[in-house]
Parts: sequence; structure tokens; C-alpha cells
Amino acid sequence: MQKETIIPESRDNAFRDLIIKSPGGENLLTCMQCGICAGSCPVSHEMDHTPRQMVRMIQLGLKKEVLNSNTIWICTTCFSCSVRCPRGIYPTELMETLKPIAIKEGIKNRNAKFDNIFADVVKKNGRASEFLLISKYSISEPGMIAQAPFGLELISKGKLPLSIDKMDDTRELDSIFSLSEKTGSEEKTKIKEKPPEIKENNSDSQEAEK
Amino acid sequence: MAENKEPLVNETPQKETPSKIEIAPRKIGVYLCRCGGNISDVVDLQSVAESLKGENVTVNIQDYLCSSAGQDKIKSDIEKGKIDRVVIGSCSPKLHLETFRGMAKKAGANPTLLEITNIREQASWVHDKEGKESVNSKVKGLIKGAVARMGSIEPLVPLEKKLVDRTLVVGGGIAGITTALEIADDHEVILIEKQPYLGGHMIGLSKTFPTMDCSQCILTPKMVAVHNHSGITMHTQTEVAEVKGSPGDYSITLKHSPRYVDIKKCISCGACTRKCHTGAIFLPFAQAVPQAYMIDVSKCDRCGACVTICPRDAVNLDAKEEISTISVGAVAIATGFEPIDPSFIEEYNYPAPNLLTAVEFEDMLSAKSKTGMRLQKADGSFPDRVAFVLCAGSRDFTGKGRKHCSKVCCIYSQKQAQLVKKMKADAQAWIFYIDMRSAGRRFEEFYHHTQEKGVNYVRGKVAEIIPKQDGTLMVQYEDTNLGRKGREIFDMVVLCPALIPSAGTKELADKLGVPLGDDGFIEEKHVKLDPVNTLNQAAFAAGCVLGPKDIHDSVTEGMSAAHKVSQFLGKGMILIPPEKPMILECNGCGDCVKACPYNALSLSEGKAVLSPLACTGCGICVPACPIKGIEIRNFTRNQLKAQLKAMLEDAPGVVVFIDPYAYAAADIAGVNRKQYSSLVRFISLPSIHVLDGDVVNAAFEYGATGVMLIEGTTDEKLTSRSDDLYKKLKKDTRKHKKPLRYSHIETAQYEKLTDLLNVFASQAGAKAEKKSKKEKGEEASEEKV
Repeated sequence: MQKETIIPESRDNAFRDLIIKSPGGENLLTCMQCGICAGSCPVSHEMDHTPRQMVRMIQLGLKKEVLNSNTIWICTTCFSCSVRCPRGIYPTELMETLKPIAIKEGIKNRNAKFDNIFADVVKKNGRASEFLLISKYSISEPGMIAQAPFGLELISKGKLPLSIDKMDDTRELDSIFSLSEKTGSEEKTKIKEKPPEIKENNSDSQEAEK
Repeated sequence: MAENKEPLVNETPQKETPSKIEIAPRKIGVYLCRCGGNISDVVDLQSVAESLKGENVTVNIQDYLCSSAGQDKIKSDIEKGKIDRVVIGSCSPKLHLETFRGMAKKAGANPTLLEITNIREQASWVHDKEGKESVNSKVKGLIKGAVARMGSIEPLVPLEKKLVDRTLVVGGGIAGITTALEIADDHEVILIEKQPYLGGHMIGLSKTFPTMDCSQCILTPKMVAVHNHSGITMHTQTEVAEVKGSPGDYSITLKHSPRYVDIKKCISCGACTRKCHTGAIFLPFAQAVPQAYMIDVSKCDRCGACVTICPRDAVNLDAKEEISTISVGAVAIATGFEPIDPSFIEEYNYPAPNLLTAVEFEDMLSAKSKTGMRLQKADGSFPDRVAFVLCAGSRDFTGKGRKHCSKVCCIYSQKQAQLVKKMKADAQAWIFYIDMRSAGRRFEEFYHHTQEKGVNYVRGKVAEIIPKQDGTLMVQYEDTNLGRKGREIFDMVVLCPALIPSAGTKELADKLGVPLGDDGFIEEKHVKLDPVNTLNQAAFAAGCVLGPKDIHDSVTEGMSAAHKVSQFLGKGMILIPPEKPMILECNGCGDCVKACPYNALSLSEGKAVLSPLACTGCGICVPACPIKGIEIRNFTRNQLKAQLKAMLEDAPGVVVFIDPYAYAAADIAGVNRKQYSSLVRFISLPSIHVLDGDVVNAAFEYGATGVMLIEGTTDEKLTSRSDDLYKKLKKDTRKHKKPLRYSHIETAQYEKLTDLLNVFASQAGAKAEKKSKKEKGEEASEEKV
């Protein structure tokens, strides 16, 4: 991939500021690029940008690259990076913050597609169906044709059941989906304006107050 | 009489004048400092000056009051007789009070009639995000309060006390050794060391960067010099148990752990160790100073073979811990550092075979080596692939590790890598770093030289270290220069742990009344300009107890501390603050004598008598006196009330009574620009224990929406009584139904302080609002009736 020179026009400060105020962005400016997140990540080799690089790109406001990165979809939310980060950054939460923004921006890639198809299947049937998921995904993703023999083999051995389970009554599930569609993306990106937290570990005064 | 024994030289008799506020006109000059914009960018000093128009004072504003021009202005005003009392509005008194008072003295004024109101650390630096109006109003209140106070206080002359011309140096590492040697030609020194030998961490080092000369070769002569110096008394295996007395005249109890071998008798012939069948008696290492054997009791079976064989009768298996007491005027703290235990870093799996700390690596190659100065793995073979993992537990802001950079690891790990390459040319050494910090003379060249040697540098913090069955270790990381994850197998992994203050630093500092920073290292009197002084004028510090540093810097600080100690002791006298109790009325009940934690009061002929040099001015006797017959000079009830009244006259606020240690925390909050409510008005007291219901009630009456007592001292004699004080005050001020709060804030806890101030100010504000609404409501309902 050709890498563009970073020029003032590549930077979107509003995007940077939005992320900093969103969940996972709190300590983002203090990243020292140590890379313990990427070193700890079990799937960072699949990512086009390691979590560390994502943080750097957000600091620079490289909105296009950040939202188009497959990193946000590949994260397995194992939290290793978040537990080990010496600066208190939570890359896991950061990825969750970025996903709805990418969807909102209409960014299409196969990982986003996979997530959408999965959600669609669950929404329609109330249950996940591996067959439906994989066949729908294969149709929309031409590269998957190479996997067809493997899929057939799975079917022949009964490892990929063709039956589609359905939930009898999906009304409750529907209301969950509609609620999440209505508020989900807004909630995620809503700027947090919480007042400074006061740690009340002052036993003396508390005792005294009693 | 007991007091006669005290080295009192000049106890200027001060008349016991009643503490009524005198109305006689004072010639007060108010000098406000712009501090080159530090203050004037936030505070409108002109309007502050104008607000003083009715006060009968002369006001002057300067760009930099501390400059010679600023000082000259005050000086000439005093000399011309325009003023005889000075109120300064500037930075913290911690910085320049002594300077200004020195100037006032030269100009012919009494130095105690010059006081500083802190309008930088306590106003412009911490309220610049608030509206200018509220900051101005606060500063006006503070200055008016200070003017009222200045009009009411009396000129005092500090007491002088003879110093004990002897210094205790705590810690026998390179910093302590240097300090001791540099002092000892002029003043007597007692040097104590916790370990059984001198040399500290430095004697456990192999080569020293950047010159690669041998640590023991340069240190041993110094240790021997300490041992041989007639002016130095050295005690190993010794710690400070208790500190009594006051700066300049300490009585310190030392605790000596038993060595079981008399250092003076032992000639280190080694006969004992050849007879010992358990290996319990040993010489710590060949060059150890003092040169004497010692016994590890955990190994000894008390067979007595050593006792019989010793030609000098030096062994005593029944030796016990001993206590001794020394008298010293000054203390130099050089207790150094220790490595953090990296086992809290779960992903590194320390401890494991062949996974060591850098200190353990050094030990193997030093004078103290137990492997014959050979680098070896657990199985005795040489490690062909060695990894160095930097920042293990440092640069961590999550609370699990330490925030600070340990400063020396970048360079020593390269030195260790060079040693590996030197011992075996085809061995591999990898350094995993985040930022290669080689600031300092000859250090970048050292980095360059290490690169030339073929050491492999990886920019990335190691993510995982997994010990394998075969004793090798798998290291996983991201090479951040490439953005790629990597995995390597090593024979040995060396962790470079965060360096933290050695165990016991806090206990010692507390005993001496020396505050620590939030990193646990000793807080300097001034971070840049007074780097080896502490807030205790008789306590000094050098070396890694002030923060991680290399040998060069430790030696520099040792020399600086020695100079400061000599300067301090050279004066022969110490000035004692004259703000002591005066006994105005006494019925001989003895309550104050019982209350005084320092035995400074006694009954003589049915009346209480003060021994001023034993008194710390804490003021516990003030509320203890049932007939209100005791007042602290210049902190009398009426003086405090006058200050409160003027301070709150124009705008209400939250009054915070604060002691000097907590005041220092407020100063640090200022330096760090930690914002808090501008309603907060500090009143500085020698200790919060001078307060009683009279003063706090007055604060409420004059318009305080809330009162806080903030105490920072770690002196248990005071803090153990704080709860009772608080309860009593709460009871006595109940009628006002306004919030009162007590809190203990040590100097390092400035963030806790600002959080508390904010919470309290908003609580007090809310309560006041509620109350006023309620009152209005009542009025309204009354009207209806």
C-alpha cells in the first residue's frame, strides 16, 4: 500500500478531539509508543496497523487511515493490551469506540461486512446460524470461493449443519435491536462530560465527620 | 533546674504583654509583586492596591520584588522611616521569606514584622481558570487579612540556641561516604550503615560506566579512608531507632544488630571460618570494610568451635541487639535506593531460573560475587544469548509500578551488554528499550560505542517473558520501529527494575520531620535552588534518596550536602522561632503541663513556667488552659480574629487553617497548577492545635461558609490528639450549623489536598445557599404571619 505523506490536510483535529473524549481515549495523549500493546496482542500480526500505531494515528488525527484500518475489527477484546499498558490506555475500549464511527461513516471492508451479516442473521432468526452466516458472507466476498471445498467437506462430515434454528418469539430481541440502533452509536461517541471524580479515601476526615 | 542545662545563650526577655489589639498607628507598607506576569496576568494588582485605600498603608507594586530593585525599594522605605512593618504579596514564603527578612534586618526593622502573603502558589497559579473577579476578591481578602494581622502582631526576637557540633550521616554508600569524608575534617561525624559493611550498592557493582573502571578499585580507598579518619565514628548494622530533641540539638537513639564478632578485636585471620562446619561464620567479601568476620545465626548451630579457635577472643555467640544514644546537631540522609521487586509484573514471570534483576547481574560480577566473578546461568554455563529489559516497573502511570524514570538503566544495561560481549565475543546481547536516554557527558559516546560492539537494540517494551522447561526464556515484543511482533529465545534475561527509595526511608524521614515527595523520595527544600536541603533546617540529603542517579551525581550531592552541613554547623547557633506560648494568667491547675507533649511546661511555685527551648510552639497548651491564660505569641486569639475579620469582610470564603507541612503540599499544588476553588483562604499556623472554639466561632461569625483544619505533620504526639481537637471544636461551634472538617494531608499528597478543598468548598457553598434560602423562606413566612 502506498503511504501518503502526512501533511496538514491529512489531519483531522476534530476527529482526534472526539476520540480523546470518548471511552478508551482518556489517556491517549500520554502514549509513549512502547508497543507493549502490540507485543501482547494475540492477533496483531493480522492487523494492518498495530494498536500502538492506531494510537499514534489518532493523535495525529489521521481519520481516514484509522477508520479504514482492519485493526478495529480484528481485535478479539482479550484485554491483554489494556491490562498491561503502563500509561493506562485501554486500546480495547478504543476499538469499540471506533467501530460505530466507522459504520456511521459508511466505511466498507470485509471485517465490517462480517460483523453486519452476523448481526443481521441474529436479528432475523433470533439465533446464530453458521450456515447462513458463512453462505451470506461468501456471496458478498468473492475471495471466499477458494474456501468452498473446505466448506463442502465440513458439511459432508456434519460439522456445518444446514438447519436454521429460529427463536419462537423474537419480539423482545427486536426491541433490544431497535433500542441499540436508536441509541447505540450515539451513546458510544457521546462526549463524556463527567465531573472530576473525587476519591474519598480520607479516612481521618470521614471518621472525624462521623 | 532542668532548663539551666540547656545551651541557652540568648533568651531575650520578652514582656508578657496582654494581647489586646493595639490601635496605635502602625506604619505598614504593602508591596505587591507582579512576578513578571506570573501573578499580574491573573490578579489585577492595581485594584488590590485600590482596595487598601482606607487602610492607612502605603502600597507599592513591583515587577520582581525579589530583584535588587524590588528589595531596594522596601529597604529605602524602611530606612527613610516611611514604614516599619511590611506585608508582601508574592510567591510562597518558603522561597524568599528569609531573603526579605534579611533585608529588613539590614534596613533596621524587626524581621518578624515582615510577612509574606502567598498570592502566587495559592492564587494566580491555582485559580487562573476561574473568573478574574473571584481571584481578585480572594487576593484582596488575603492582603487585607495580612494587613490587619501585621497591625496586631508584636516584634519578636528569635531565640538562639547553641548547636551540637556533630553530624550523623545515615547510610554508608558512596553518597554517605563522600558526605562523611567531606565534613569530617572540620566537624565530628558519626556514620551509620544498615549492612555489615560500607559501600552500599556501589560495592556491589562490577564496572562503572562510562569509563568501565572497576567499582571496588575506586571505592575501596574511600571506605578505608572513612575507617581510618579520626573524625569519623562508624557503626555498621546500625539504624536510627528514635529521634528526640530539636534541630541543632538532637538526641538520637541507635539500634545496633549483633554481629557476634567484635570488629575491634577481629584480625580477619580466618581461623574461625576454617573450623566452622556449617559455614555460618564468614567475611562478607575480601575487601569489606570493616574487615571483620560475622555470623549468620540462621546457619549457626552454636557448637562453639569458632569461639575456642579465635586467637583474639573476638567471637561472642551471646551478643544481643544493643542501643546507644548520640547527640548531634545535623543529620545527613544518604539512605539510597533499592530495586523494586519485579514479581508484581505478572507477564514477566519473575522470579524464574536465569531471569534476574540487573542488581543480581551486577552482584555476580562484583567484589561480592559468589560465582568467582563469572557470569553464569543456573546450570553454571555461560549464557550465549542475554536480553536486557528496560523500564521494568518504571514509567508506569497505572499505579502498579512507579511513574518516574530510573535514569541510570539505559546506560548501565549497555555497560552490562558490553561486559557480556567482552566475556565472550560471539555472545549475543539484546537491549529492549522504549527511549534510549543517554543525556549526560560522555554518555552518547558510550551508546555509540556499545552499538559498535554489535549489541542489538530493539525499540519496544517487552510484552511477555515465558520461562521454558530447558531453562531458556521466550521473550515476546513489538519491534516498534518496524511495527512487527517478534519472539526470541534467550539463555538469560536481565530486568532493569524501577529504583525506589530504600526500605525505611519514610520511617526515618518521619522521625526527622522531613517530607517526602509522592514518589517516596525526599522532597528538596527547593527543587532547583536548594537541592540537598530539606524542609528541616538541620536535615540534609544526598544521593539516591533524592531520586535515582549515577555515582558522579551522588558524589556531587554528597559534597554539596557536606558543604551545607558545615555551613549550618559553622554558625554555632541556631535561631529558634520566637512564636512561643506566653503565660498571661495562671491558677496553677497544671492542665497545660499535662497537655504539653514535649515536657516544655512545668509548675514552679504554683505557676506554669515555660522552658522555651524544649517548646516546639505547637500550641496544645492554648486550648488546654481552662482560664484562657495562655496565648502563642503572634498567634493569639485576638490576632487571629483580627486577621479573619479583615479577610472575610468584603467577601465570604472557606477558611482553611493549615500547618507548615500541609502548607508545603499547597505549594506543590501551586507549582503543578492544580486548580481548586478560589473561595479557599488559607491561614497559616504553627500547628492546628493552637485553635479553640473562640477562633473558629469567630471565623463563622465573620462570614466563613466553612472551616477546615488541615494538618500535615507526621509527629504522632500531635496527630494522636487531632481527633479530640476536631470533636471538641465541632461541639463548641455547633450553634453555627456550618461545616467544619479535619483532614491529614502529608506534603506529598497535594492532589488529595486539592480534591478535598474542591469538595469542601462546594459542600460549604451549597450548605450556605440552602441556609440562606431557608432563612429567606422563614422571613417570607414571617412576613405572611
